[in-house]
Amino acid sequence: MIATVVGLELRRSRSLVGWMAVLSVAYAGIMTLMYPRMAESNQALQAYMKVFPKEIIAAFGMENGLSDVGTFFNVYVFSMLWPIVAAIVGILLATRPVAADLDRGFLELPLATRISRRRYLLAGIGVQFVAMLVLVVATLAIIVLIGPLVGYPFDVARFAVAGLLLLSSGCAIAAVTALLAVVTLSRGVAGGVVAGALVVMYLLNAVAKIDPGLDWLSYLTAFRYLDPVATLDSGTWPLDGLAVFALVAAASWLGALWAFGRRDLLP
Amino acid sequence: MPNVIETTGLTRAYGSRRGIVDVAFSVAEGEVFGFLGPNGAGKTTTIRLLAGAIRPTSGSARVFGLDTWADATRVHASMAYLPSDPGYLGELTSGEQLDYLAALRGLPRGAWRRPAERLELDPSVRIRKLSRGNRQKVAVVQVFMGREPLLVMDEPTSGLDPLMQREFLALLAEAKADGRTVFLSSHNLQEVERGCDRVAVIREGRVVDISPVQALLGEHWRSVNLVLDAPPRPGFFDLPNVRVLSEGGRDVHVMVRGDVNPLLRRIAELDVRDVAITTPDIEDVFLRFYDAAGAEPAEPAAAPRMPTEVTP
Repeated sequence: MIATVVGLELRRSRSLVGWMAVLSVAYAGIMTLMYPRMAESNQALQAYMKVFPKEIIAAFGMENGLSDVGTFFNVYVFSMLWPIVAAIVGILLATRPVAADLDRGFLELPLATRISRRRYLLAGIGVQFVAMLVLVVATLAIIVLIGPLVGYPFDVARFAVAGLLLLSSGCAIAAVTALLAVVTLSRGVAGGVVAGALVVMYLLNAVAKIDPGLDWLSYLTAFRYLDPVATLDSGTWPLDGLAVFALVAAASWLGALWAFGRRDLLP
Repeated sequence: MPNVIETTGLTRAYGSRRGIVDVAFSVAEGEVFGFLGPNGAGKTTTIRLLAGAIRPTSGSARVFGLDTWADATRVHASMAYLPSDPGYLGELTSGEQLDYLAALRGLPRGAWRRPAERLELDPSVRIRKLSRGNRQKVAVVQVFMGREPLLVMDEPTSGLDPLMQREFLALLAEAKADGRTVFLSSHNLQEVERGCDRVAVIREGRVVDISPVQALLGEHWRSVNLVLDAPPRPGFFDLPNVRVLSEGGRDVHVMVRGDVNPLLRRIAELDVRDVAITTPDIEDVFLRFYDAAGAEPAEPAAAPRMPTEVTP
């Protein structure tokens, strides 16, 4: 029975996830094609970067220079493309099974059948996880596939570990949204709060990078933990980021399941 | 017969807003039970409580002896539910949508075909392209596609045309003949009159009356409009249960309550060109219950409503 719900949720998600995967592949692919130019123009690029104030360079995490693999992909993919893609998909998928379907008058129908509320939501959570996994694999696969073609065979293992970081961060976004959707039963409120929080956290993280005295602010943001530069450059496992995102995701999803089984369903 | 549905002191408050208060009724196995009330009276709240969608503030609702909130999933296994104004997934065809709900109810694919044919529903059209009436057909089909012993429906014929309303009543009669129990809410008195055995009337969150349908209707005024060949003599319609509203010339408008046979015998003495008898509508029924003292209404409604038969 849960497989029936998963099947329908996957079907409803395929268009959104498919197009976002196409977007991610196209963007990440183009950036990978550009990387050799960056690497081969390191001196010119360093000179060019000196034009900018140090604060700007720090805010965007470009201190190591864009010819550095970790910095380059962090700046253009991990901390730019991925948060946008993960937020769009996470918000839309996590608010749909509960808040959006309740609002459209659909939710009462499946929940009046033999499937329990928690199993129903669990199916939706499963689809959120699968969607994030598909997007991470699509985004990173194109990088490691194109890399050798342009003369830069990137370390697949390092990208795979960085992929775990992306996956856990995307799941955390979806999970927090799912929890808020269950609590508020409003797609607008849940999506708005999460999107707003992400923007605020991005700004706080930038401020923390600009002023070392405000570094403590970065602990309040998810972007401190979404930093794969060391992983891509030296193979270090981002254990703190993985732990934080996995904990937030697990706690939020479990909270959503718990709350969904107990609350009134009133559109 | 054992009771399939039983509520006691069922109360649901929405903060400071009234929901339902101390609602108590029972529905016997095989009974078709109507739940009648105007918009905002508490019908949907009661049905949501029966379906386990919301939790009672106090009191209890039990279906087949199970608490509808605590044992919701087990209750759902024995219940087919049609919520008020259900929404569907526009990207699916109605057939796909019905197959999905059938799978969740443990029914085989295509279980919906027979009721869909009865209601002339095209299963191949995407739901977003269906009219409101056709979407309501999907709702009715989904509730009748299974064999659950209890059907709970919230205003099931809303948006259906008269032909489909008739087909709905036929499906309802077949469900009753099969021994299934039905709980349906409505603000359409004709639907309740034709389909239900008993009816509860809910007003401002409280059940104010539970009666057999005929008893409920018998207590209310019916409007009779006559066109005669010649004006009747004065006082011709003076009967204990008849009120004459207008008696100008050949057009006569009277109201009758309870036994209509004395009036019909009087009418039979006249040369009648046309007659229209209307049933009371929901407003007429509620007139009584809105009278705080419980007394009969000061005057029956003057305008005829809902003609049910016109014979030359």
